[in-house]
Amino acid sequence: MTLFIEDGATVIVQGMTGHQGMVHTARMIQAGTRIVGGVNPRKAGARVEFTLANGTSESVPVFADCTQAVTATHAAASVIFVPPRFAKDAMVEAIQAGIPLIVVITEGIPVADTAYCVALAQDRGCRIVGPNCPGLMTLPSQPGSRGSNLGIIPDGIVGRGPVGLVSKSGTLTYQLMGELASIGFTACLGIGGDPIVGTTILEALQAFNRDEETKACVLIGEIGGTAEQDAARWAATHMTKPIVAYIAGFTAPEGKQMGHAGAIISGGKGTAQDKKEVLESVGIPVGTTPGQTAELTRNILREHAII
Amino acid sequence: MDLYEYQARQLLQEHGIPQPRAIYAATAEEAGEAADTIGYPCMIKGQATIGHRGQAGAVKRADNREEAVQLAERILPMSVSGHPIKGVLVTKAENILHEYYVSISVDRASRDYDVLATANGGTEVEAIALQHPESVKRLHISPLEVFDRQAAKAMAGRIGFYHADLDQAADILLHMWETFQDCDATLVEINPLAKVGDPDDESTKHLDALDAKISLDGNAAFRHDGWTRFSDSGQDDPYERKAKDNGLHYVHLDGQVGVIGNGAGLVMSSLDAVSGAGQDQGKAVRPANFLDIGGGASAQVMETSLDVVLSDPQVRSVMVNVYGGITSCEQVAQGIVQAVAHRDDPRPIVVRFDGNAAQEGLRIIADSHDARLKVADTMEEAAAQAVRLAAEEASDFKEGAR
Repeated sequence: MTLFIEDGATVIVQGMTGHQGMVHTARMIQAGTRIVGGVNPRKAGARVEFTLANGTSESVPVFADCTQAVTATHAAASVIFVPPRFAKDAMVEAIQAGIPLIVVITEGIPVADTAYCVALAQDRGCRIVGPNCPGLMTLPSQPGSRGSNLGIIPDGIVGRGPVGLVSKSGTLTYQLMGELASIGFTACLGIGGDPIVGTTILEALQAFNRDEETKACVLIGEIGGTAEQDAARWAATHMTKPIVAYIAGFTAPEGKQMGHAGAIISGGKGTAQDKKEVLESVGIPVGTTPGQTAELTRNILREHAII
Repeated sequence: MDLYEYQARQLLQEHGIPQPRAIYAATAEEAGEAADTIGYPCMIKGQATIGHRGQAGAVKRADNREEAVQLAERILPMSVSGHPIKGVLVTKAENILHEYYVSISVDRASRDYDVLATANGGTEVEAIALQHPESVKRLHISPLEVFDRQAAKAMAGRIGFYHADLDQAADILLHMWETFQDCDATLVEINPLAKVGDPDDESTKHLDALDAKISLDGNAAFRHDGWTRFSDSGQDDPYERKAKDNGLHYVHLDGQVGVIGNGAGLVMSSLDAVSGAGQDQGKAVRPANFLDIGGGASAQVMETSLDVVLSDPQVRSVMVNVYGGITSCEQVAQGIVQAVAHRDDPRPIVVRFDGNAAQEGLRIIADSHDARLKVADTMEEAAAQAVRLAAEEASDFKEGAR
């Protein structure tokens, strides 16, 4: 297991038959993810054909609900693409079916719904990733095994390597993946830009710290909340691997929501400057641009003789 | 979405939280009439979606109609920390015996709800928390918990509303929680919650919410009829209103380089790159706005985005920074070419594409043979070029004006 999921694990998609769900399920399958079912009570019993780039096609069954899907497929993860107003029901359904990893791509879910589902997931021992995130991509740990692309992270940017990436931002994740493509990753995790998320930066670092093949981490943060500071304080005494960070939003004014629901400085808290200072105070270097952050990462990998 | 005090009062009132009588007035004349109706002394409270209104001089006490009108005339044109005053609230001036602070908010770190309370209210709770941390109580409500009257009473006891009737305090806590939940709020704050009344007449003493701040979760608007009754809240900026009407994530800043990109993080990063380039070049050039076109944007979205950004006359150049994931750079390029084709606008646009269909996008830009469209290889280069062009444009502009 690299990060929260075994190589080649079975995956279902909630909202697969919608437009977004269809487009991204096709991409996930193309990327090698083992998609074994979709969920839609109105289309239960149907099968959906996905045509791959090599001309072959994959036929995915649709189940009435998560419990039936899990009974039939033993799915280890679900990816959720349903619209915001149905997202709470979808998350609750996945939790009640006992799916251990639930990746929520949907943007625009009320924070009260997320708070409820995250608390319920914790209570039942499930992990939510997101919402409002690009998802999780793991790279195959052995030749011949299959990684999983759970969400919308573009496939084909990177291969396997020693770096673990955790990020609040989707496009900055792709940017850093592109910059460090020649080095490669164990896993890339977008935790999402909402005020409450199912998996925090700290939890991601803990998982990377446990993973033997991850040798260094890149952390991409942004204004709002104290997740970066909390992670830094934990890392100071627990993290055994080097971390390089980047923070977006030094120019953001107080009290303005910068795109992401959680990207807001309120009451002077959650500034990029404060995050940078706390990270640097525990010895985590913070790049000034994504490009410089990639440079810092390469330097640290060399210093630690990882590359 | 931050509500004005007079809007927050409506929500508290609907949930049974006692407040002094108040009337909203849009003009000084209306304020005089309202003051006559409320009676004297009364408070004239400027309405802005920001705290520290009292310290800014936007909250005053009036003893007669003439004073009420004069104060309203003085307060109405004010701004508090850049937030313009929109009307005044005329309220009864209560005889305050004791002040408390209570708030319920989303706690991002513990991923539940935070009840913050102190019996030393009235001023800044942050300052009290620093000076007398022991006097500020911080309690949590779990999203899975049923917070009922019994729970509220236990919490009121732990907070220790001394001098106050614990039953009434518990009622207010419960009603605050109901307001928070029913309205999908992210913050419900009463400051001060005050014990008011005649010091010599025990029967007149009770708790009243004298000021309130409520923030609503914009993501939950779909289950509140879009909060159309609060639609005028926080829409002071004409560019932000235009962008919102077009479904764009836009924040107006005060610089000269318009910034458009896909993904909140990448756009924030682009703003930082523009600020950094301005400093590096020793130019007083800063980002003019934040605009996130989101994932999978069409040519039409890009065209509209450029229209919004270029409608700000302070913008001297634009930086477009796209890393194509779901978004196709080809679509973005088409939108840019469409937008500039019908504009007789000399302002340059620096484009940086990477990822999905970047080459196709760059070809469309090149094939347009439009001298206003420039291309940069990296985000840092794009920022540096946009800043340089903005500085040049600004000096041309000044010379032209002479």
